[in-house]
Amino acid sequence: MSIFEYNGSALVAMVGKNCFAIASDRRLGVQLQTIATDFQRIFKIHDKLFLGLSGLGSDAQTLHQRLVFRHKLYQLREERDMKPETFASLVSAMLYEKRFGPYFVQPVIAGLGEDDKPFICTMDSIGAKELAKDFVVAGTASESLYGACESMFKPDMDHEELFETISQALVSSIDRDCLSGWGGHVYIVTPTEVTERILKGRMD
Amino acid sequence: MSRRYDSRTTIFSPEGRLYQVEYAMEAIGNAGSAIGILSKDGVVLVGEKKVTSKLLQTSTSTEKMYKIDDHVACAVAGIMSDANILINTARVQAQRYTFSYQEPMPVEQLVQSLCDTKQGYTQFGGLRPFGVSFLFAGWDKNYGFQLYMSDPSGNYGGWKAAAVGANNQAAQSMLKQDYKDDISREEAVQLALKVLSKTMDSTSLTSEKLELAEIFLSSSGKVKYQVCTPEDLSKMLVKYGVTQPPAEA
Repeated sequence: MSIFEYNGSALVAMVGKNCFAIASDRRLGVQLQTIATDFQRIFKIHDKLFLGLSGLGSDAQTLHQRLVFRHKLYQLREERDMKPETFASLVSAMLYEKRFGPYFVQPVIAGLGEDDKPFICTMDSIGAKELAKDFVVAGTASESLYGACESMFKPDMDHEELFETISQALVSSIDRDCLSGWGGHVYIVTPTEVTERILKGRMD
Repeated sequence: MSRRYDSRTTIFSPEGRLYQVEYAMEAIGNAGSAIGILSKDGVVLVGEKKVTSKLLQTSTSTEKMYKIDDHVACAVAGIMSDANILINTARVQAQRYTFSYQEPMPVEQLVQSLCDTKQGYTQFGGLRPFGVSFLFAGWDKNYGFQLYMSDPSGNYGGWKAAAVGANNQAAQSMLKQDYKDDISREEAVQLALKVLSKTMDSTSLTSEKLELAEIFLSSSGKVKYQVCTPEDLSKMLVKYGVTQPPAEA
């Protein structure tokens, strides 16, 4: 079994009209044994920037802690929040620093940039950025997620329709993956508010 | 006679003094003053701005107050460029602690860590000490609200009210007279502004010459560091009788 499949994960982010959504599953497993059903994979960096980390749980937590370190110092020195594009470059640089002993994670970054324009991107474990205009996926359920998102996605959805779409895509893909599951965690972010919802799916 | 012992920072004089450290404190005595007051529901920091020219590009940055972490801030007196280095060091130290222990760094530990850095420059390396004194204000879950004063020698102490910079002796004695143990944050602001106005050299006090910052717990229980806006500061100065209200046209 690959190290990326050790803990199991599913992550997806989608762009809507002046908003974005980022969602993950909640299972933490050790190969086939389920250890936790409330594992946090999506982290808030600031009100308009979220980071999802799929892959090895330990590396996800450590990388998140390092990024909080860097972002806090950036906020204190620049006296403002980091733009999502800048943050993505930071994550990419940090991952490439460990090119020959990498973090076994696949990040998904979603945020509202200049003029609240939605920004999403993903990268591989050594920092190769992939910017997308519609959706990005990561984790053990990524193949199912690609299929689900491709068929369900429409551009310029408002935040309610976006929530429905991302939730359906996530739940149906998780159900086809034995390593992800136990519900979902969905964040819908608009320029004015952040809504966090827990999804109840097949609890297996 | 003391001239012989002040060229090297890391040597004692025959009388057991470190002249470079004392000269650093002289430098601070000429800089803009800062006052800190601990109250039961917060800590108040007030600073006197020395650089006031119409040509100065005012941005949101402050001249005397700096945030070190979400729960700690400091007021500075002395050489600003030295202060910038130390503030950056303090910020990195606070983040390194949070990274290792996943919780905010206790205020006294942060002050001690920074003072250890300052002390290094008085004992080895041959570099001069930093010409800055700090007033640290913060909150942690062990000891609640705290105020610390540190100087170029690396000494620090916890205080209920303290003053650094120009006329700090006068300010300190005024604070000693008027400070009460159960002072509220609003009364602390009033006391700080009154003491500062009496010890400042300038004849008229306006919000352009001052900076005011407070550390307190917000209604949700989180620590907040807030710098007062110039408009609110002007209103407060008039309210506490420190400045005359603007003349009616």
